Amino acid sequence: MKRSVLVTLLFTLSVGTAYAENVATPIPIGIGVAQTSNVALLGEEEVVGAKIAEKYFNAHGGINGTPFKLIFQDTGGDEAGAINSFQNLINRDKVVGIVGPTLSQQAFSADPVANRAKVPVLGPSNTAKGVPQIGEYVGRVSAPVAIVAPNALKQAIKEHPGIKKVAVLYAQNDAFNTSESGTFQETVKKMGLQIATLQKFQTTDTDFTSQVTAVLGANVDLAIVSGLSADGGNLVKQLRQMGYKGPIIGGNGLNTVNIFPVCGKYCDGILIAQAYSPSADPKNVINAAMAADYRAKYKKEPPQFTAQTFTAVQVFVEALKKVEAVTKKKITQLDLGKVREELNKQIRTGSYITPLGKISLDHEGEIHQENFYVAKIKMDANGKTGKYVYLK
Amino acid sequence: MDDFLQNNGFLIVTMVQQALLAMSLYYPLMSGQLSLASPGFYALGGYVAAIIGTIEYFAPWRDALGWSIFPLEWLAAGIISGVLAVLVGIPALRLRGIYLALATIAFVEILRVICLNLEITGGAIGIFGVPQLFESRWSYIWTFGPLLILMLFFSYRIDRSRVGRAFKAIREDELAADAMGINPTRYKVLAFVIGAVLAGVVGAMSAPFLNTWNARQGTFDASIAYLAYVLIGGSRSMWGPLLGGTLLAALPEVLRPLKDSRLIINGVVLVFASIYMPQGIAGAVGRIRNFTVRKFGSARSEK
Repeated sequence: MKRSVLVTLLFTLSVGTAYAENVATPIPIGIGVAQTSNVALLGEEEVVGAKIAEKYFNAHGGINGTPFKLIFQDTGGDEAGAINSFQNLINRDKVVGIVGPTLSQQAFSADPVANRAKVPVLGPSNTAKGVPQIGEYVGRVSAPVAIVAPNALKQAIKEHPGIKKVAVLYAQNDAFNTSESGTFQETVKKMGLQIATLQKFQTTDTDFTSQVTAVLGANVDLAIVSGLSADGGNLVKQLRQMGYKGPIIGGNGLNTVNIFPVCGKYCDGILIAQAYSPSADPKNVINAAMAADYRAKYKKEPPQFTAQTFTAVQVFVEALKKVEAVTKKKITQLDLGKVREELNKQIRTGSYITPLGKISLDHEGEIHQENFYVAKIKMDANGKTGKYVYLK
Repeated sequence: MDDFLQNNGFLIVTMVQQALLAMSLYYPLMSGQLSLASPGFYALGGYVAAIIGTIEYFAPWRDALGWSIFPLEWLAAGIISGVLAVLVGIPALRLRGIYLALATIAFVEILRVICLNLEITGGAIGIFGVPQLFESRWSYIWTFGPLLILMLFFSYRIDRSRVGRAFKAIREDELAADAMGINPTRYKVLAFVIGAVLAGVVGAMSAPFLNTWNARQGTFDASIAYLAYVLIGGSRSMWGPLLGGTLLAALPEVLRPLKDSRLIINGVVLVFASIYMPQGIAGAVGRIRNFTVRKFGSARSEK
C-alpha cells in the first residue's frame, strides 16, 4: 500500500508531460559520438562520415524536399557522458533519431535511455554482442565481430591450404579485442584447426618477447593478432624480426593506416577482414560519391567508421522518406513522438544500397550485410608508406 | 520544471553522486591519509549490484524480494567493501603520504585487471542490462539524495565527536596523537573503511543508474578526478567535497555549448581555482566570511 503511494508520487514527479509537438524544420537528426577523450580517434572518423552524408543527402533533396540538419553532442569517452549527450539530443534538441555512441560499453549505458524515451538509435560502431537486444528502438549498422572476423581466416586458408596449428594473440584489457579474439578462437576450432598457443597482452605493452617466443616455440602456421594499432603493430614487427615467416591475420584494431609507422616494412602481408571497402563495387554510386568527397578533403581512402556513420545517416534519411510515404504527410507536420515511433518501424523494413553495399536491418535492429571484404597490407619499397589491397 | 528535470535530471544526480565519491576521499584525508582507493571500492560496489541484479543464481531472490533487492545490494556492497578495506587498510596504512597514495593506486589497478579477466564480471565488455529501480534517470535522486543528506549529517556529527577529533589529531601530528593515547592505526583504518563503505554503496547505486557496469569505472583517471574534487572544493570541511564534486561534475556539461573548447575552459578553471583558492572553495568562502566578521564585527565567533 505504502509502496503504491510512493510509486505514484515518483511517477508524477518523474514522467514528463507528453504534449504534442511537431518536428522542427530542418529535421533534426542527432549524432552522439566521442569528439573528445581518447575515444575521439574513432569518433572523429564518424563525425566526418556524418558530415559528408549531411551534405550529400541535402544536395539530393533531403527528405522529399525538406532539408535535415545534424546536431552533434559530444559523448566523451565514458558512460555518463554518453547518457548526457543522449539526454540533450532527445529532450533539448528534439531529434527524430540518434546515430551513436562510439563504444559498445557506452551503448549499453546510453541506449536504454533512448529506448525508454522511444527514440530510434543506430550504432555506427557498436560491434559487441547484445547491443541490438537492448531494446526495440536500438539498432546498428556495424556488423558484429562474430560475422566480420571469420572472413580473414577463410582467406588465409585459401592462400595457405596447409594451415593446421594457429597462434591466437589478443589485448586482454580492451573490450573489442577480447570479444574479437573469442570469435577467432571459435572459428579456428570450427574449421578443424588447432590453437597451438593462446597469448594475452595489454594495449600498453611495448615488449612482446615472451609472447613471440611462445609463438615460435609452438611452431605455428598462422598467427592471429587482435590488438590496437600501437601494441598490435609492435607485436607484428617483433614476430617478424624474431623469425616468424607464416601468414598473419590482424583484427579490426589493426585496420588503420596508423600501424604503418609502427611496424614499417614488417606490416607487409597482414590480412584484415573488412566490413567496408572503398573500391569494392564500381557500380555503387553512393560509395563512389562518398569516397570521392572524402579523398578530396583528406587525400586518403575513407576508413570503415566513416562509411558506417554515413550509412547510419543514410538509413535515417531513407526511412524518413518511407515515413512520409506511409503517413502521406510531411515529417514536419507530424508529431515528434509519432515520427520517432514510425521511423523506428520503417528503419527495419526494406533494404538500403549504402557505401557498405546492400544492407537491411531485421526486427531486432541487427544489420544484415551482403558483402564482406578482406584486405592485405602492401607496403611500399621505402617501408614507410603502404596501402590496403582489397582481395576478391 | 518538468522539462528542466528531463533535460538535466541525469546531470543533477551525477553531481550528487560525484559529491558522495568526493566525500569517500574526504574521510581518509580527515585523518591525514592521502588514499586514492575510492574508485576501486566504487567499481567493486557496482559489480556487486550488477552481479546480484543479472546473474541466474540470484534470480529466485530477485523474484521473491522485488524492489527490496536494491537496498540489499547496497548493504552487500557496503559490507564487502568494508571487509576488503580492513584487509587492505591494515597493511597499506603503515605507509605514509605519497607511498600510501601509490599503494592505493596499485590497489585500484589490481582490482581493475582482476575484473577484466574474470568471467563473472563480464571481462572487458562488462555487465549490461542491469535491472532498473526507476524509469527516469532523474528519479535516482531518491537513492543518492538521501544518502548525501545522511552522509552530511554523519560528517557533521563525527566532526564533533571523539572519533572526529582523533582523526584531526592524527592529521595534525601523528606522533603527538599517539602520545595522547590515540591509537593511530585503529583510527586511520577506521577512516579508510568509512570511505570505502561509502564508495562501495555509491557504486552499488550507480550500476542501475548507468545501466551497465564495466572495468572502465574504476580507473586511475577516476582517482585523480575525485582527488581534484576534494582539493578544489576544500579538504578541511565537509562542505569542500560536496562543493567540489557537484561543481566539477557539472562544469563540463554546463560548458557543453562551447563544443570543442569546453575541455580547455574546464582545465583553465581548474588551474585558476587551485592557484587562487589554495584552501579550496570551502576555504575561500570561510576566509571571506571571517573577513566580513572581522570588518563588520558580527557577534558570532567562528572559532
